[in-house]
Amino acid sequence: MPQNETIQDLNLDEYKYDFVTEAEPVYRAQKGLSEEVVRQISKHKDEPEWMLDFRLKALEVYNAKPMPKWGGDLEGLEEVLDEIYFYVRPQDRMQHSWDDVPEEIKDTFEKLGIPEAEQKILAGVGAQYESEMVYHSLREEWEKQGVIFDSIEDGLKNHPELFREHFGTIIPTGDNKFSAMNSAVWSGGSFVYIPKGVSLDTPLQAYFRVNQERMGQFERTLIIVDEGAQAHYIEGCTAPVYSTESFHSGVIEIIVKKNARFRYTTIQNWSNNMYNLVTQRAIVEEGAHMEWLDGNLGSKLTMKYPSCYLMGEGAHGEILSIAYSGDGQHQDTGGKVIHAAPHTTSSIVSKSISKGHGRSTYRGLLKVHEGAHHARSNVECDALLINDTSRTDTYPYIEIEENDANVGHEASVSKIGEEQLFYLTSRGIPEDEAMAMIVRGFIEPIAKELPLEYAVELNRLIELEMEGSVG
Amino acid sequence: MNTTAMNQTVQTEGVTDALSAAAVERMSIGEPEWLRERRAHAWSVYERTPMPTTRLEEWRYTDLGKKLDLDGLELSRAETAPDDPEAWPARLRDTMDADHEASGHIVLIDGHVVHTDIDPSLAERGVILDSLHDALELHPELVQQHLGSIVPAEDGKFEALNAALWADGIFLHVPKDVRLELPIRVTRWLSEPGTAYFSRVLIVADRGSQVSYVDEVVSDDFDRQTLKSSVVEVVADAGAVVQYAKLQRLGRGGFVQSAQRTLAQRDARIDTLNVGLGASVHRVDLNAKLLGPGANSEMLGLYFGDGEQHFDFNTSQDHVEPNTGSDLLYKGALDGDSRAVFRGIIRVLPGAQRTDAYQTNRNLLLSSGARADSLPNLEIQADDVKCSHGATVGELDAEAKFYLMSRGLSKVQAERLVVLGFLGEVLSKLPLGGVVEKVVGVIEEKLAQHG
Repeated sequence: MPQNETIQDLNLDEYKYDFVTEAEPVYRAQKGLSEEVVRQISKHKDEPEWMLDFRLKALEVYNAKPMPKWGGDLEGLEEVLDEIYFYVRPQDRMQHSWDDVPEEIKDTFEKLGIPEAEQKILAGVGAQYESEMVYHSLREEWEKQGVIFDSIEDGLKNHPELFREHFGTIIPTGDNKFSAMNSAVWSGGSFVYIPKGVSLDTPLQAYFRVNQERMGQFERTLIIVDEGAQAHYIEGCTAPVYSTESFHSGVIEIIVKKNARFRYTTIQNWSNNMYNLVTQRAIVEEGAHMEWLDGNLGSKLTMKYPSCYLMGEGAHGEILSIAYSGDGQHQDTGGKVIHAAPHTTSSIVSKSISKGHGRSTYRGLLKVHEGAHHARSNVECDALLINDTSRTDTYPYIEIEENDANVGHEASVSKIGEEQLFYLTSRGIPEDEAMAMIVRGFIEPIAKELPLEYAVELNRLIELEMEGSVG
Repeated sequence: MNTTAMNQTVQTEGVTDALSAAAVERMSIGEPEWLRERRAHAWSVYERTPMPTTRLEEWRYTDLGKKLDLDGLELSRAETAPDDPEAWPARLRDTMDADHEASGHIVLIDGHVVHTDIDPSLAERGVILDSLHDALELHPELVQQHLGSIVPAEDGKFEALNAALWADGIFLHVPKDVRLELPIRVTRWLSEPGTAYFSRVLIVADRGSQVSYVDEVVSDDFDRQTLKSSVVEVVADAGAVVQYAKLQRLGRGGFVQSAQRTLAQRDARIDTLNVGLGASVHRVDLNAKLLGPGANSEMLGLYFGDGEQHFDFNTSQDHVEPNTGSDLLYKGALDGDSRAVFRGIIRVLPGAQRTDAYQTNRNLLLSSGARADSLPNLEIQADDVKCSHGATVGELDAEAKFYLMSRGLSKVQAERLVVLGFLGEVLSKLPLGGVVEKVVGVIEEKLAQHG
């Protein structure tokens, strides 16, 4: 049947980011993780002594911590890590104009549509290729207002005091095994400062690309949103599909000061051979708002639980999470909210779709400390299962030490309703298109929060994934 | 060694009270060989199983290192207990008097069965209600077939300890198609502080039978930690209906550990109710297995904590076959510095299509020192299912209270009504005669102290 052929064709084309660029790196450290590698990274970055010490201590912590036994299947990860390059330097120095970026690398980002988007809708763009930012640029109007949007390395060089005051304080090295690993070998990522009262009306975007096989990427981002400021930061990630596993482990530290508002959006679409183990945390001060919009579509295994520490009175934290798991994928995601001050509010909404042999797990913590009176929180998790081989789990932790608080958690699991499907198909809509429509409706509450081009991208992806899913 | 200690040694010669291999050996005297071997095996499992720590997910919020001192406990010294009701403690008799009609009774004092009765017409139809010891002699095959097969020693440290050291228990067997109109009522009294009591309950309901079973334990406060360990095994064969209710009203100082598993076969229904009102620590591990199409289980829990009470309910709903259902509702109110932990999991195994499974835990915090932790989990491996869970922790509904007070009720009266309304939802789902009144009575006492 011709229709089936089309579906097959489309499925072949499912992951459109599967292309490799032939670009010779200027430097590549030896395989695996060792003190020597850590020293080389620090030397290449021409770092102050304290940072080398910080890295070496982190390496010790990493070595001392056991591999987590919960979450996804990390068995065999140690062997993978032995074969991975922890540091690959793609070019000599970072550029502020696309014209200066080597042709092959620039070509990659053009295929991903980054320079085009930058011109149209973004306040600034950072592009990371392998281990380092190859391009970083901020619109002049924002630069004039004192906004800093730089690579993390330049943040350390050019703003040493601001950097040192916050770096590693929101997510300490020993928080978990992978935050320790990142602290030892971090490379690339952004340093962002939004001055008091400054409101960015368009987003900043960082794009992360892994190109080479057996590559480990360890981005480190530090974002300081000063009092009353407002901004939105978007992170996108892709990589080619290889037969061997790759590894990405980021640490994102954010501080949202008094009455400021900040949103961090991730659209993670790593190839299905990627381990993606990320630690993201925001400190939210008095009256401030923090929103995590976390989209996990790619990777082999993602373990990522963005968190909000509501430290000041009236602080608000929000986590919107969407996960898609197809064959061979496990998205172990969710969020954490810690209410540590009175009158704090939070909400977590998680939606997941599992298809084929995919597995989606929601894992979350909601904690109200004693004294955080009038805390309010609501958690909602919905899981959609497409096939009888798909799996979903929900593991929420709710810890309440304050009686003057109200928290709720609701979760539901369902499959696409026969009735819904029948209704749509009886109106002449082909079954796979009907499936896609239902799934789109399911994720709509989150998709509508996405920047338009990402929402379009998400919808396109869902459509592709649903084609051929009708048995 | 001084003289007193020497005397002590002489007095207890040949009798070991500590929890030990020798005690297991002593328990086995006069028992059939298979049971002797089982006890010995269970003790070896106990010895090689480490004591659970808070590093284990299932014990995350209950620190046994701080809460339980097994070495400080001794086995019951009571060799026999009075079988004459006149000699029973007044509180035990009062508790029984408050009960409604029953199909049969068992009374246990300090772990010994002192009384058994069953409606003769039911006995004629083959219903067995006996102490486990008597059942071992009268119905050896039935007991051997089921005892320890549902909750094996390998399940954990406490399950092993219980299998090695159980002193007595209850055996209830309802033959095919026999339906009991009135419940079986079990009343237990414990009196020796510093003692570890181990008992078991085995309920076997054959095809198409029906039975309700209510098990209540009462004691005064203990001046030393006192352990009540129980293992409960319930099987409902095709189409059988079993209601199991457990009412815990021990005094402070009590440490209650209860491991329960229910097996529901095709079209069977097993409903359980766990009520925790007394004791200092109350831990329940309840696993409901839905093993045949049409099997169903309603799982209810109710707790009211005050002082330093600590409740920990660890439940699981295993949907093994297609077309099964389970519905769990655990609700609790916490006053003083009390704490409750609820950890529940719904597991839908591959192929268990058309499962309907629900799980709800709601907590009411009545004081600033109270604390509640709730972990409602789902693991779903089939797609054609309806599963949901919910958990809430909150304060007393201020609006409801305000409304009642605006109608002329005092603050205390209004609070009482709101709390009773909140907890009453659980009782209304399994309204067993006697249970409702007793639970409401205790809650009212507790609320009166809340003031």
